[in-house]
This record gives sequence, C-alpha cells and structure tokens, in this order.
Amino acid sequence: MLGSLDAIIGPLYFWAFSLVAVCCALGVLTTRHPLHGAVCLIGVLLAMAGLYALLGSPYVAVLQVLVYAGAIMVLMVFVLMVLNQARDDHTPRFDLLSIAGLLLPLGVASVSVNVLAGANALHGPAQGGALEGSVANLAPRLFDTTAAGPGYYLLFELIGVLLLVAIVAAVLLAKRSLAGEPSVTKTEDAAHGH
Amino acid sequence: MVIDPIHYQGVAAILFAIGLAAVLSRRNLFVALMGIELMLNAVNLSFLAFARMHVGTASLTGQIVPLFTIAIAAAEACVGLAMVICIFRQRDSVDSDAYASMKE
Repeated sequence: MLGSLDAIIGPLYFWAFSLVAVCCALGVLTTRHPLHGAVCLIGVLLAMAGLYALLGSPYVAVLQVLVYAGAIMVLMVFVLMVLNQARDDHTPRFDLLSIAGLLLPLGVASVSVNVLAGANALHGPAQGGALEGSVANLAPRLFDTTAAGPGYYLLFELIGVLLLVAIVAAVLLAKRSLAGEPSVTKTEDAAHGH
Repeated sequence: MVIDPIHYQGVAAILFAIGLAAVLSRRNLFVALMGIELMLNAVNLSFLAFARMHVGTASLTGQIVPLFTIAIAAAEACVGLAMVICIFRQRDSVDSDAYASMKE
C-alpha cells in the first residue's frame, strides 16, 4: 500500500516542482521590474531545492535554500533596492535584435533534448545503488585527505581563497573614493569634522 | 507514471535555455545576472540527476560538484553586483545599451 502511494506522490511532487520552476523562470525572463524577477528567481531556487531533495541529495537541497535562496538572493535584492533606479521603463524589454537572440537558446534546448532522447541509458528507472547525499555520506568523501583519495579537500581550500579574493575585489570595486575622487572624500571628512 | 532521469534532464535543459535567453535578450543588467544564476542551477540539477544513475562512491562525485558550483556562484554574484554598482555610478543606468563606450 505504501509503495503504491509512493509511486503516485513521487511523480506528483516532481511535476509540481518542475511546473513552479519553469513558470517562475519564464517570469524572470519576461518581467519588467527586476525586483519581481528576483522574487520569481527565489521561487525557481526553492522549487529546485525540492527537486534536489527528490533526487536523494538532501544536503545540497538544504545548502540551496540557505546559500542560494537565502544569502545570494538577499544580496541581489539589497543591491536592487540600493540602486533604486533599477526599473527601466523607457527601454523596451525586447527589441528586434534580442528576438533574434532567442533563436540560440531555442536551438540549444532542442539539440540537447534531442541528444538526451536518443540516449538509451536515460530511459527507464535509475539503478538502485546510488548513495544518498547525506552529510554522513558526503563528508568522508569530500574531506578524504589520503593520497589515493579524490582530493576534493584541496578544491575546498581553494574555494575559500576564491571567496576571500571575490570579497576584496567587490569592496575595492564598490568603494567610492578609490578610483578618481580622493579629494572629494577628504573635503567631506573635513566638513564633517568642523 | 514513473519519473526517469530523462525527465530531470529535460527540465534542466528547459531552465538552461530560459536562463540563456534572459542573458542574451534582456538589456537590464540585473535580469542578465539572474539568467546566469538560472543557468548555473540548471547545470546543478543535471549533475544531481546524472549522479542518481551511478552506483556507490561514483554517485557522490556528482553530488559534491554542485557544492563547489554554489560557492562559485556566490563569488560571481558578489563581484558581478559590485561591478554593476561601479558602472551605475558613472552612467546612471542599468541598461546594458548604455555601456557601449568600447564601440565608440
């Protein structure tokens, strides 16, 4: 009984999450205000977290919600609100050239779906031996420091350095006084001081 | 109806195409950045669906790569948004048509 119920509910979840993800993605593509697009993108990311959980990767699903739908989208919405003029009413969303640009994604999608449909291994249910992506399974593999191991821990360290470099670069880029106008900030400081 | 790996790959391909269309055809820089995030996520979904088809530790590799992708996406969003702020200060616009000074 439970097995048959699973056989109904599993596909139901898949189609529901897929429908939400694709509809929200179309919302990102067609919306006029980028803030609406950001909310649609959060919908996509949450629906994809559901798909990840359905695929047996609960850890990636949780990280998707925490890091992607949480941290990254908060940063994006924050910047959207700081730059209040982000709404572009005066320019059309699509012009003739960009409609031509839509041909490439259509081609990419049709070719990849064609190739996938031709691959026999993708049809029929997946083999049962895949390990669940839980912390207990992933952590020993990720931090396997033996010489014979896959060496993901080195990549992990490199990612830490990369994130640090990205933060420093972002601070330098967004800092107002660094590039051309040090005198302005100096006079401002003087004005505040007196 | 049973859900096969092909269904997940189809959804990933559709989402990737929508993200690519957003990057190529929308002129608002924020929407273009969101299109990049969409494409990264579609690839993650593809990785996880392929990982499901393998056995034993090989299936863990496909679940570790998305972790790195998410971290790199965070770095990309950080630098990309800082660049948008930086250029917005000079041009007062988030329309990518305003950033054509290399053409002139």
